[in-house]
Amino acid sequence: MRATDVDIPPNPSDATLVEERRPTPALPFLGRAPEAFMRLVFREDRFFLVLSVFIGIFAGLSVVCFRFAIAWCRIYLLGSGATLTPLRMVLAPSLAGLFIAVLVIHVFPLARGSGVNQTKAALYIYNGYIPLRTAVGKFITAALAIGSGHSLGPEDPSLQIGASLASALGRRMRLSRDRMRLIAPVGAAAGLAAAFNAPISAVLFVIEEVIGRWTAGILGSVVLSAVSSVVVMRWFLGSESMFRIPAVQMERPTELIAYSVLGIVGGLASVAFSSGIATLRPWCKALPRWTQYFQPAIAGLLIGIIAVLGAPQVMGAGYVYIDEAMHGQFTWQMLAILAGLKIIATLLSFVSGTPGGMFAPTLFIGAMLGAAVGGAEHVLFPHLSGSLGTYALVGMGVLFAGFLRAPMTSVFMVLEVSGNYSIILPVLIANTFSYLISRGLQPTAIFDVLTRQDGLELPSMEEQREEGTLRVEDAMRPASRAVLDTVLEAHDSLDQVLQRWDAKLPEVRLVRLDPTGWSIITRQALEIMVKEGKGNLTLGSALSGRQILFLHPDNPLETALRYVDRWPLLPVVNRADFRKLEGVISQQDVLKRYQLFGEEEGTPE
Amino acid sequence: MLEPEGDAQATAGNKRDFRRYLRREAVILALLSALAVIFFVAVTALSHIYEAQQEFLGNRWFLRGAADLKQRHFESAVTEFRAALLYSRDSYTYQLNLAEALVGLKRTAEAYAYFINLWDREPENGLVNLELARIAAQKGETEQALRYYHNAIYATWPGDQQVQRRDTRLELIQYLLNINAKTHAQAELIALAANLEDDPMQQSRVGDLFLQAQDYEHALGEYRLSLKAEPHDPTALAGAGFSAFQLGRYSLAESYLQAAASANPNDAQSAARLRTAALVMEMDPFQRQISVALRDRIVLKAFAAAGQRLESCSTAGAAKGPATIPVAQPGLTEEWAKMKPRITELGLRRDPDLVNTAMELVFSIERQTSNACGAASETDAALLLIAKLHESN
Repeated sequence: MRATDVDIPPNPSDATLVEERRPTPALPFLGRAPEAFMRLVFREDRFFLVLSVFIGIFAGLSVVCFRFAIAWCRIYLLGSGATLTPLRMVLAPSLAGLFIAVLVIHVFPLARGSGVNQTKAALYIYNGYIPLRTAVGKFITAALAIGSGHSLGPEDPSLQIGASLASALGRRMRLSRDRMRLIAPVGAAAGLAAAFNAPISAVLFVIEEVIGRWTAGILGSVVLSAVSSVVVMRWFLGSESMFRIPAVQMERPTELIAYSVLGIVGGLASVAFSSGIATLRPWCKALPRWTQYFQPAIAGLLIGIIAVLGAPQVMGAGYVYIDEAMHGQFTWQMLAILAGLKIIATLLSFVSGTPGGMFAPTLFIGAMLGAAVGGAEHVLFPHLSGSLGTYALVGMGVLFAGFLRAPMTSVFMVLEVSGNYSIILPVLIANTFSYLISRGLQPTAIFDVLTRQDGLELPSMEEQREEGTLRVEDAMRPASRAVLDTVLEAHDSLDQVLQRWDAKLPEVRLVRLDPTGWSIITRQALEIMVKEGKGNLTLGSALSGRQILFLHPDNPLETALRYVDRWPLLPVVNRADFRKLEGVISQQDVLKRYQLFGEEEGTPE
Repeated sequence: MLEPEGDAQATAGNKRDFRRYLRREAVILALLSALAVIFFVAVTALSHIYEAQQEFLGNRWFLRGAADLKQRHFESAVTEFRAALLYSRDSYTYQLNLAEALVGLKRTAEAYAYFINLWDREPENGLVNLELARIAAQKGETEQALRYYHNAIYATWPGDQQVQRRDTRLELIQYLLNINAKTHAQAELIALAANLEDDPMQQSRVGDLFLQAQDYEHALGEYRLSLKAEPHDPTALAGAGFSAFQLGRYSLAESYLQAAASANPNDAQSAARLRTAALVMEMDPFQRQISVALRDRIVLKAFAAAGQRLESCSTAGAAKGPATIPVAQPGLTEEWAKMKPRITELGLRRDPDLVNTAMELVFSIERQTSNACGAASETDAALLLIAKLHESN
């Protein structure tokens, strides 16, 4: 939409428009320092950026402490060795589960679950409010759960801890409602980035799954907080990747077929995993309240039994074993078994309400499944050049895309974790297959399933992405000969125009001004001007200063809606040539199109 | 320009509000900074405790693993090194030891993953290159194996670098000999010998390797060097004897083999070679400094032995059937029979050229029967060796 040189009738919103467009000097504080400088820095939007850095620092420090806490819980509950004793494997998750249940039920009721939806709810429902108590609760219960061997990860809790800290900070700062709403996702990005040691993925995930829109202001804050939290985390824990990244190879393009197979298998596994959660979670929640005290303990007991029976790898986040899988330390059959058992173990932990994240288990399942598929393919086709590590890396992205339904994040996550751009093609192919299969078989994404099960109606980012957008071209009347014949030119004199304006022509007509710009004139206004003795004037000089807005065919229809009530008719012009009329649009056209759209789509619930 | 009074008041109020806002935000910023510093210091302290504990646990498990690795309890060593790595995932030493233990368990694929990772970090590490070479050799990847062996030879080693490099080259030579790359092995052996110190044991060992590589000249040289320091070393004597034997220097071989047999009476191989060498000396009519009579007697004896060889070979061939043992060319038998009346002491004395003619026939018979009829008597073997000796001359 072109809005410059517009004669807009005065109203409050227009005033704002004018204010925002007033050019600002590049360095305004130079003239009136120091007050101007302070004014510049402490404007709320800029102060929000400064605050984002602090949020990142605090979130980073909290995540570092969280990692320490998990490690200590692991050492003291499961033992310090690589091989765990059967007794500890069974007792630690069971007893920890019992304790966690008491804490969650009586002290930290909001600490239940992964934390992504709670952050989203803070953004859309609670005006950015997440109690600090939730962060404390999440910290304690998730550290206990993961450290004792529950099949959950530290990323989503870190995300919630970051969001909760940010929210507390925002409340202290008495930020405006708009900023308060955004502050939780900013903290979430910081928490996730520190937990994942991957700032790009964290930023993308928060934008893609929590906020759902890109603007410079949001992006700036989210990036600043993510970067500062990662810097803090790396200061304390080092910058090594979570896994030793194997060499990535792909000698022949035909090998993409092998990765497509991985995408299909990953998509089906994602559906199985998310269907399991979608089915079992409400069932567990529907059980009598007293059983909630025992659900995490029973989940822990069953995970312990799986571990004792020969798969201790399913306990905890399992990053060590992802690393081992990447370096060919399991047979493909064992990898497939581990992927299956991890799905079961994570289902048990998650549906029992044990606090903890799903990112790490998703990566674990993906890595195992990827390496298993790669291993099996190598048996069938020994000439394949991709190492098991490459398949494991791609597999992680596949599950991320299929289960968490974050397609862009999944691609960048693998790139960021592997630090190798040559893996891009396999990742893109496999992730696309996985995402499409998952979407096809289970239309609702897992995070949306979870929020609906909790009785909340949060906007689904996936559904938003899929939603059709109405554009001006959908509602405008195209510039047919009949329409074009009604357009007046600036060089026509008022007398001439009035003489030629017969009763068949519309009451309102567009005027094409020189060199660019459009205006409108009614027959009545023309008659008045002629009566006033302005008949010799051209339309251009008579209407100068009365330009109207014009639109482009690809402008969203809602943009048109903002202006169509001010003028009876608006021109829709070509983007390359503003004098070329593509169509005309009026308020009636817009409303008619919306009415039609409602009938096509059905009324939303 | 004068402002209306109300406007002026509002402007002043706005300025006051804004100053208050600035003061508040500046204070908040200062407080946040202070809080961040306090939090940072607290986490640093916590981090020290955490790191100390991690280091302690890592070290504890590593020491246990190292003890088990020393006692070749590879299974427990692997578990313990894995536990150590939980606390210091990137420790080069822990990973190296874990990989070594995995090699001990013959879990080559896993070990390879660790070694290759270690190689990426320190491509100049001798031990890592050597282990990678061994794994590549096991997998039959000769090119890779040679690359890693050479890397290892020129890599840095802890302790005595010279010894480690020498041992690595020795291992490479053994590998080359195993894959029958004798020329390559000879080149490596020459390089090794050039840098060898005056250690008779090493010289003797290198001599053995030269023997395996069929480089008898260099082998003899190494044994001689070794014998300078240890003149009675039976292994070096036997090696030198064998080298001289293979070079056709039977006189020298005889003296070394005699000494070897005396030094080690149980050395049956040297004793057998000594007998053969003596027989070669005895049966060679072309030796210098022997009388004509003796030469003629040797020719008569050799001619008779060849005839016997022909006969025994024909009998064996006829008994087992011509398909199984191909009989020597019938022309040789006829030729031998035709020549026999002329091969007398008198005949040889009258016609000295007959010595050469007779011996040529003898050598032909021995060569063809050895191909067709296999192993023969010691005399036949000696005649064959004499044939080879003079063929090359």
